[in-house]
Formats: sequence, structure tokens, C-alpha cells
Amino acid sequence: MYQFKLPDPGEGLVEAEITQWLVSAGDEVRINDILVEIETAKSLVELPSPVSGRVHKLLAVEGQTVEVGTPIIEIDDGSATADSEEEPKHLVGAGPAPEPTSRRRPVAPPADQSATTAVQPVSTAAQPVITVEQPATTAVGKVLAKPLVRRLARDLGVALQSIRPTGPGGTVSKSDVEAAAGLGRVAESVNRVAIKGVRKATATNVSESIAKHVHVTEFNTIDISESKRLVEVLKARREFAGLHVSPLLIHAKAVCLAMARHPELNASWDADAGEIVYHDEVNLGIAAATPRGLLVPVIKGADKLSLVELCKAINDLVVTARDGKLQPADYAGGTFSITNVGVFGIDTGTPIINGDESAILAMGAIKRKPWVVGSGDDERIEPRWVTTLALSFDHQLIDGEQGSQFLADISTILSAPEMALLF
Amino acid sequence: MSAGDQPTTSTTLTLAKALNAGLRAALAGDEKVLLYGEDIGSLGGVFRVTDRLQAEFGTDRVMDSPLAESGLIGTAIGMAMRGYRPVVELQFDGFVFPGFDQITQQLAKLRFRSHGRVALPVVVRFPYGGGIGSVENHSESVEAYFTHTPGLTVVSPATPNDAYWMIQQAIATPDPVIFLEPKRRYHEKGQLDLTAPARELHEAAVVRRGEDLTLIAWGPMVRTCLDAANAAEQEGRSIEVLDLRSLQPLDMPTILESVGRTSRAIVVHEAARNYGPGAEVAARLSEELFYVMESPVLRVTGYDTPYPPSAVERDWLPNLDRVLAAVDRSMAY
Repeated sequence: MYQFKLPDPGEGLVEAEITQWLVSAGDEVRINDILVEIETAKSLVELPSPVSGRVHKLLAVEGQTVEVGTPIIEIDDGSATADSEEEPKHLVGAGPAPEPTSRRRPVAPPADQSATTAVQPVSTAAQPVITVEQPATTAVGKVLAKPLVRRLARDLGVALQSIRPTGPGGTVSKSDVEAAAGLGRVAESVNRVAIKGVRKATATNVSESIAKHVHVTEFNTIDISESKRLVEVLKARREFAGLHVSPLLIHAKAVCLAMARHPELNASWDADAGEIVYHDEVNLGIAAATPRGLLVPVIKGADKLSLVELCKAINDLVVTARDGKLQPADYAGGTFSITNVGVFGIDTGTPIINGDESAILAMGAIKRKPWVVGSGDDERIEPRWVTTLALSFDHQLIDGEQGSQFLADISTILSAPEMALLF
Repeated sequence: MSAGDQPTTSTTLTLAKALNAGLRAALAGDEKVLLYGEDIGSLGGVFRVTDRLQAEFGTDRVMDSPLAESGLIGTAIGMAMRGYRPVVELQFDGFVFPGFDQITQQLAKLRFRSHGRVALPVVVRFPYGGGIGSVENHSESVEAYFTHTPGLTVVSPATPNDAYWMIQQAIATPDPVIFLEPKRRYHEKGQLDLTAPARELHEAAVVRRGEDLTLIAWGPMVRTCLDAANAAEQEGRSIEVLDLRSLQPLDMPTILESVGRTSRAIVVHEAARNYGPGAEVAARLSEELFYVMESPVLRVTGYDTPYPPSAVERDWLPNLDRVLAAVDRSMAY
């Protein structure tokens, strides 16, 4: 059953008078048959039927004034009972048209003027072939490549001019650059990438380290809440304005302080000379994931730096490493390293000693964990910031006792930074 | 929903009725809120957005105005200066221009001109955009005139839930808000969460997650973009849809997060292309994500002509096919 409600035939109409019915109950009507004549403030208007069917009932009589939106006639069009949720008729415009939810079939243009109108069937599942019009190479010698590709070429140290472009419109594509850098992908189910550059150097270094050093790793899990608090205190201080202060800074400082008591941790095993080399300064390496791979840039004389200077040195190093601008001198001459696997959310690991150094500290993730505090009747579990430290050292020149004491000293400083006064 | 009913936790309404419910909540929540506009009283507005509000809150708070948009805005400015929170309805997008001087030269400037002392909590709301089979002067998208005018906040909801909350947030804003209502979506229904707004007025929303490309839209084009994204999924493409919601200010962190992930973006709006809102979004993306973009930011917009007769508006307005054609072009880079 369809209920026809009095629409507004003119903008802003509120009511109209039924002047004449042109149908009566039982009549068959078709779409656009005139149902009724109404009189508005402006004119007489004929209202057509929006549906086909049999008139069931007239709901208003001639001469009656009816408000817009009031049902005036019921037409049995085979539909269910009148939908009370139906929207009011649109005062302006025809109302929104239904919108398509799928793509129209792309129509292939005729091959030439004489071609017939036959249209090639196109599978709706097929990707339409689109070619992007590239600007013509008007500037002589100018290589066409999108910024992303230019940046990639720069990072990989490949000259764009030297690359044969195979991208759309004669542009150099990403895979062109990768191929030129020896990182090209082979069209099979595996990627075969040449071992070179930082990857190759890293592989050589870790293999040599495993062969050269006798690795032992010790772990210690500590409550590091006080160091976290210290980081917040430092952030608020003017000396650290503009600097990024992080737990890494406190770890680095703790290493430098503890090192003074354990010179064998800051030493090298020179098998060729048959000597142990004790270093005067702590050249602190910090492992960094850079755009070019894993590098361990070094802060020279880290133990001589104030906390602010150390922070600034770490900050500078992060920027240089992130920009891929580290020079060989920046990652040579380290005497001890820190690697931060915690940034990846990992609890800890068994780090491999870097180069000729004798030990390396791994920072783990700092997480909220239950921690037993107090003693006796006051003993309870509290949520604390907890981390696990891992120290790998070369057992050739460092005994378990020395390594353990060094790790214990670092732990003491990190869990109670005021203990740094004792060092 | 009958007069006076405020639903309690959740309900399904059309966008027009959601606006009606939002206005009712604002009127009930703050006696300083006034509605003022042409035919908004006994008629309830051309689109019935203010339906029954005059009957509920009286002729002192829901007032029919003369057919004079300049005076309408000017009166609202005066009322705002005296502590009211007027919500002005303009009947159609094309009717904003008689009030354009008051909006851009007085409403937008008084806070600045008075060294911050005079705030004007005025909301100017009106239906905008085409697609309802109406004529020019009743179908335009006029965002850019106002986003280009410093001192105005410009927002547009795309869903009933956003309509319900954003109109209340706009009314609570201490400075002028241009509130653009997507008229072709007035009768589309959606679920309302009546417990709390999902986000701040100025925040954009990722309304569909995808990996290959971000469609950026607002108001009426959000639905079109969602339909296009669903169609693209059949073709094996994963399209993200970002509903800006606020055009001024732009929620750049959300935009950059999305396009930073997908590396491709298309801005879709009904307004003509030249100097349109899409140009601003494209410029910002090229500044911020120069080395991330896989393709230039494309625009799918109305054509650079006056709004056409309704018989051909379907060919003039951006639609699913034109959006997908742009997706193809972007992906071909």
C-alpha cells in the first residue's frame, strides 16, 4: 500500500486546499496520471501519481485545507503497508539520485575513424591499462625521476644519469636505481641481492668477532623507575633545552662511571702482539640502525664529557646517523659499545662484541612490571619500570667476577642514580 | 522521534534529523543558544532541520528572519556581542553571498580587530553541494571562500553521528564557525552514539583503512569515496578514505600519518578545481611528504564552470567512475 503525502509544489509552502479529486476509490492509476488538483497561495497545481495501482482510499475531501506531509490518498501498488519512515517530499530539487556502487565498464575508444561502433568486451575484473603522460624531456640532460627515486639514488650513492630508465614515460624507476646499486630484484620467487656495502661489512665484523672473542653474556633485571624519573627532571632543566633526553643517556653515563672501577672492560686483546691494551679514554660506541644499515658510531672520550655534553654528543650522532652522513672516522676507535634493542620493544638479547672491544651492553625495553618492594610486613608488589640489562664480554681477558661487578655497578647507578656520587 | 524526545544511548537517524537532535540538545543545554533564519520556525526549514524546534523552545529562541542574509548575519553578530550564541541558518549555499560582507569583514575580524577582547560565538550553518536535482545558486560548494578567510573555523560533517556532535561542538566554540551541511546526504541514515563525541571538532578521521592510496574528502564526497574504495577492492586495490571533517583548521598530523603510510593521495571535492580546497591539501602534502610520495597529489573535482542545470549535474559532479579513473592514474606512476 502506498500513501501519497501532500508534497510542497513550491518552495516554502505549508498547506494547500484540495480543490478537485480526479480519481476515486477503485480506479486504476498509472504513473504520472493526475490524481488531484490543489490550490496553493500562488496557483492551481495538478499532482501526478508516482506509482501505478488501484486507488484504495481518499484521505481528504474537496475543499479541505491540508498540511504539507499529510497523507491524502492510499494507492494499492502491491507494496507492503505504508512506510511511516518515509522522508518528506523535497521542497527544492528532485532529491538525490541513486549513486553507482561499481565501475561502469570502460568503453574502448575506436581504433580509427573508420572503425565500427563495436565495443570490445572488457572484463570487469581486469585492471584497466593506464599510461601516465609524462612531461617531455625538454631540458637537455635532465633525468626524469620522481622525488622518492631521486632520494633513493642519493641514499644508495648512485648517479641518476648513469641509470638506464625503464619506468613509464622514460622515467628512472625505483627498481632501476636498486638494480644500478646492485640491489636489483630477480624475477623469480626469491629476491637475490648482492652482498655488499654495510651488509657485507656487518657480516664480516660479527663473524670475526665470534671467532676472535670468547663470548659470555650476563643478565640483570632491575627497577629503573628512578632513572626514568631522572630523565623527566633533566628534560625540565634549562641546560637540556632543545636536547632529546632519553634513558640511553643515563645508561651511557652509568657505563662511563662504572668503567673507572673496571679498566679491563675498557681494554683490547691484542693476540698478535701478545698484549692486553688498556685504553685511557672511553670511546663509547652506540649501535644505530641507519638508512645504510647497522653502524656503531663512536663518542670519543665519553667519560670526560659532562652529562649535558654527553647528551648533546648522542643527539648529534643520532642526527648524523639518521641522515646517512656518518664518515668512517665516526665509527672507528671504539673501546666499548651500547646497543639498544629495547627500542624495538624487546626485553634483551645476547649482543656480539664490536671490533677489537672487549664488552658490549644491551639495553632492553623498559616496561611496567610487578616488582617486590619493602621487606618484612611491609613487603608488597608494586608496578614499576623494569628493564633487563645484558652484558656480553670477552672471557679471555675478563673473568666472571669482573664482568659481574661491572654489570652490578651499572645496575646500581640505573636503579638509584644518586649512587653515582660514589663513583 | 517525536517532539521533545531525546534518545538516551544510541539510535539510527537521518543526517537531517541528527542535526535536528543536535540543535535540540544545544538549545536545551544553554539558554543563550538562539536559532535565527529564513523559514526555520513554523516551516522547520526547507530541509526540516529545525523541525518542531520553534514549537518546543518558543518564538524568542527559534526565530524566523526576513529574507535578508546580510542583516541576518549582522544581527547575529550583535546578539553574540551581547552574550548570546546565535546559530544562523542560511537556506542555501548560494544565498550566503548577500551575507558574505558581514561574514568576512565583521564576523571573521572582530576578535582580531578588538585585540582579542570581543569573541563572537556564532555558527553560520547552511546546506551546500549539489546532487539533489536542483539548480545553480542551490547546489554550490563554497568552502574555499571561507577557508581562505582568516578568523573562521570551517567544518562539514559527513555522517549523522558527526552531524549530531559537530553542530553541538560548533555551537560551544567561542569563535565563528561556518558549518557546511552536505544536502545530498540529509536523508542518509546512520547510527548515533549519544554517549560522547568520537573526536574533537578539528580532527580528521580515517573512515576506511587501506594500504595503496588515500582518498581525502569531506561532507558529501565521503560516501562517494567509500563506494569507490569498495569498488576498488573488487579490483584488488586497498584504498584508505580520510574524512577531513574540518577544513579550517586542517588536521595535518592525521593527514600526514595516513598519506605517509600510503604514499599516494587524491583529494575529492564538488567545488571547482581552480584555487579550490584540494590545492591547499596538495600543496601541504608536497611540502611535508616530498620524499615519500609515489605520485603527485591528484584532484577529482567539479569542473571550472558555473553549476550546471540539474539534468546534467550527474556528469558534472565527481562520481565513483571519476574517482576510480584518478586512482588508476595515480597508481600508474
